[in-house]
Amino acid sequence: MQGIKQLIATLHPLERKVVPHLKEGISLDELVKVSKLKEIEVMRALQWLENKAVIKINQELKEVINLDKNGVKYRDNGLPERRLLKQLKKEMKVSELDVSKEELNVSLGVLKKKVAINLRKEGNNLLVSITDAGKKLIEKDSFEESFLKQLPIELPKLEPEQKFAYDNLKSRKDLIKTDLVKLRTVALTDLGKSLLKEKLDFKEMIDKLTPQILREGGWKGKELRNYDIKINVPKVYAGRKQHYRAFLDTVRRKFMSLGFTEMTGPVVETEFWNMDALFMPQFHSARDIHDAYYVKDPEYGEVDEKVMLKVKAAHENGFNTGSKGWQYKFDTERTKRLMLRTQGTACSARMLASKDLQVPGKYFGITRCFRSDVVDATHNSDFYQTEGIVLGEGLNFSHLKGLLKMFAEEFAQSDSIKIRPAYFPFTEPSAELFAKHPDLGWIELGGAGVFRPELTKPLGVDVPVIAWGLGIDRLGMFAMGIKDIRQLFSHDLKFLRNAKVVW
Amino acid sequence: MPTISFSLKELNKLVGKKIVKKDLSPLLEYAKAELDEVNGDEVFASIGDTNLPYLWSVEGIAILLKGILGVKTGLEQLKFVKSKDSIIVDDKLKSIRPYISAFSVSGAKVDEDLLKQLIQLQEKFCHTYGVRRKKVAIGVYNYDKIKFPINYKAVDPESVHFVPLEFKREMTLGEILEVHPKGIEFKDILKGFDKYPLLMDYDNNVLSFPPIINSNYSGKVDPGNSRLFFEATGTNKEAVTLATNIFAHAFAVRGFKIHSVDVKYGAKKETYPQEFKDSIKLDADYVNKVLGTSLSEKQIVALLKKMRYGFDKGKVLVPDYRLDIMHQVDIAEDVGIALGYDNIKDNKLEYYSTGDSLAITKFIDKIRELVVGMGYQEVMSPILTNKNLLYDMTESKDFGTIEISNFMSENYSAVRSWIIPQLLELLSKNKKEEYPQRIFEEGLVSSKKTLKDYDRLAVLTAHTKSDFTEVKQVLDYIMNSLNVKYEIKEAEHSSFIKGRVGRVYVNDKSVAYIGEIHPQVLDNFGLQVPVAAFELNLTDLYNAL
Repeated sequence: MQGIKQLIATLHPLERKVVPHLKEGISLDELVKVSKLKEIEVMRALQWLENKAVIKINQELKEVINLDKNGVKYRDNGLPERRLLKQLKKEMKVSELDVSKEELNVSLGVLKKKVAINLRKEGNNLLVSITDAGKKLIEKDSFEESFLKQLPIELPKLEPEQKFAYDNLKSRKDLIKTDLVKLRTVALTDLGKSLLKEKLDFKEMIDKLTPQILREGGWKGKELRNYDIKINVPKVYAGRKQHYRAFLDTVRRKFMSLGFTEMTGPVVETEFWNMDALFMPQFHSARDIHDAYYVKDPEYGEVDEKVMLKVKAAHENGFNTGSKGWQYKFDTERTKRLMLRTQGTACSARMLASKDLQVPGKYFGITRCFRSDVVDATHNSDFYQTEGIVLGEGLNFSHLKGLLKMFAEEFAQSDSIKIRPAYFPFTEPSAELFAKHPDLGWIELGGAGVFRPELTKPLGVDVPVIAWGLGIDRLGMFAMGIKDIRQLFSHDLKFLRNAKVVW
Repeated sequence: MPTISFSLKELNKLVGKKIVKKDLSPLLEYAKAELDEVNGDEVFASIGDTNLPYLWSVEGIAILLKGILGVKTGLEQLKFVKSKDSIIVDDKLKSIRPYISAFSVSGAKVDEDLLKQLIQLQEKFCHTYGVRRKKVAIGVYNYDKIKFPINYKAVDPESVHFVPLEFKREMTLGEILEVHPKGIEFKDILKGFDKYPLLMDYDNNVLSFPPIINSNYSGKVDPGNSRLFFEATGTNKEAVTLATNIFAHAFAVRGFKIHSVDVKYGAKKETYPQEFKDSIKLDADYVNKVLGTSLSEKQIVALLKKMRYGFDKGKVLVPDYRLDIMHQVDIAEDVGIALGYDNIKDNKLEYYSTGDSLAITKFIDKIRELVVGMGYQEVMSPILTNKNLLYDMTESKDFGTIEISNFMSENYSAVRSWIIPQLLELLSKNKKEEYPQRIFEEGLVSSKKTLKDYDRLAVLTAHTKSDFTEVKQVLDYIMNSLNVKYEIKEAEHSSFIKGRVGRVYVNDKSVAYIGEIHPQVLDNFGLQVPVAAFELNLTDLYNAL
């Protein structure tokens, strides 16, 4: 009987109050009455006992007859026909009776049926008088009245007399109603039966440690009740970081650990920094109005004239780089046009032109960018880009390859990479990086290249600059097991509260 | 990025060497192209380089692959016969669409495959390289219906009428712009001009109305034709020349004979196709310096010839179908591609550096941690939203918003000026989720006044008992943790309940609003629990400390 003893030790105080009253078939209502606990307390105790296989809770839906709003009134004050009868000291005109219109016809009908009154017509008046049977009726409760006092009663359990009263009352307005009621009864399991045979002595156990018990040492020599430690606990929703932001935090830490310094730039950019400074010609198809968002008002911003003239020269004739340039007339108004940043590379251009630039140097940025697209499972209105630059004397394409290999190891846990020729207007040579992900196969990680001299020299940089960008949204989706890009900015609280934590 | 399709059988025929399916992907890398799909004989590929339009058809790819596979290396010479055909250019076109180049072909038959590639190349070229026909537009004609010389002239929109391609009745140029689908699509190009370009032959038959539409009379090419006339018009002479050169090569590769056309600008005469005679001095050291290789000049020249460059007396000769070579570095990349990126070694960076984040990033991260510690769920929203949400829903006045002039969807038509509206919207979408709902977002807002971004922190608590005290405790906890003294002064803000809203000041600088959200606002969002919130400008706070 070790099991039973153990079981008794884990019983919660509520269970202990309920167990002594348990018997086969007892209902929840009865248990509430005898245990003097609240219904919710008894119910919790029963559920715990059911979890411990002591009992089984049977649930049944039953039809129960209850008083309706008029029923309550008539139970306390008598039915309207009684009040009518009491007024009949003599024969009266019906119109003189003090009974509401609503109740009058029903009352007359009922009394007529019981031969308690006589009705006759005189001219236009209807006269009513009491009979002997009627006089008797006043003396005690009618079937109907005593029935109202017995409610609630389960419909199938009606006695013949009650049934008669029920049939008479059920069609009358708001007197009685039939409710569907959940009836819970207890069935004892074999374990339950054995438990009840045990001598239950709960007196000496401590349930919860209290400051008083601790202060007074009252726990000494006593047992503490055992808990059911396997029991499910209610969920809590505590504070936590947003899933994608937390991933970006990890990415930022990673770049810092690899020796990169963070750079930034504004969301509202000029065409100058977003494209012109990157040696993208003003007629380039990527600059088409369909791809970038332009600001309505103001339309134009400020650009440093000195840098702008050098960039202009690079576009038109190659500046001092030995390049032919794009051979067109650079528009110095258009370059000031305000737009939303379409690429993080704008920050790289700003960094290169900054007086804070360190040579050699390694920089990264995690930036919000915008391109005009229809929002769907693969396109967001905004997205993140991660990009950066490495600059220093003697850097070349072989260093770019080494760098990309490191990124593949760090961000896709892959030492198997593929670097393919690619095209970006601002780099030459240009490359695309693919990495073999342990689970997903070949995935495109990003693009990279060596910035063209026509880009770097006008910004005042004379050493080679390796530039790269990683598709961080996609990497984040892989890491978090997300299929729909919109979930990166999810507003579904259930999803946010339960999103997998990635580290 | 242009996406093209072609027949693998055709590619084999044009290259003159068997290429099987599995070789396609690595071979296309030389064209900076990605193999998208092979469906039976049909190959789909995306070409990465928007400055190399010669690769946007099977003929151009074949020219390159001949070099890669060693079938034919070095410059692809374009042979043509001189003809007396000419185009006379009207001086008045100077400000409208001054340039034209042309050639004609004979000697082979146009078939379905050629027609398909021709149309594909024409469309991609005009759309991407030709900037939606503005810079370059192309027309191909039945040569037999043309009487030379051709006049390329500027005319009054209502003075000429002809039957445009695929139409049955005559229209004036003005009418075409209003009625014809191509007219409607491209009429912007001619906006502001009172005369329009027109090509007309010696018998006054209209060839086309560039850059809009060909005539139905001569501007229609069918399988079986063998004598074709080609022209390109535009605003950039080199780009117009490039179009003729690329198409002439494409026809030549298919065995057509190319005939030149003279273009007469007054007394000046130009003959097309026309070589650019572009060359660049080879600097082997520079190439090695860019790639991190140690190739000899001989090796470099061999690699360049694989990519179909020529080489003569120390100079790299650029093919006349390429205009993308601006600098030595472009040559270096092609050497790298011909060598194969896999054959260049990986080098580690040699110098040591310590990484760091922006100072404000550190500040922001600490504050985010504090708010998480207070039991708040962090959320993140798009920065793009709309004025209805920012102001109408929140009963607030517009305090300066950066709006998008060419938005795609009204929902994303403005940069947010504050964050609380998006968080109220979040609450309204999660009414069935368990309360209390305590949320916060740290992120950028933009100001129309300064055109700058600001980092802001918005904190909201929503549940049956949420109130000013609760949200002020969060603010107080942050300020105490930062050891910052602050002051709250009564304020007015129509999104909040009057008398329960304040402005927060640090060193006399206003940094936040705090209060209980107005019941009208809650009603607008269909919220049935009180919400208390603050929005703290972290950029200003950081700068005030």
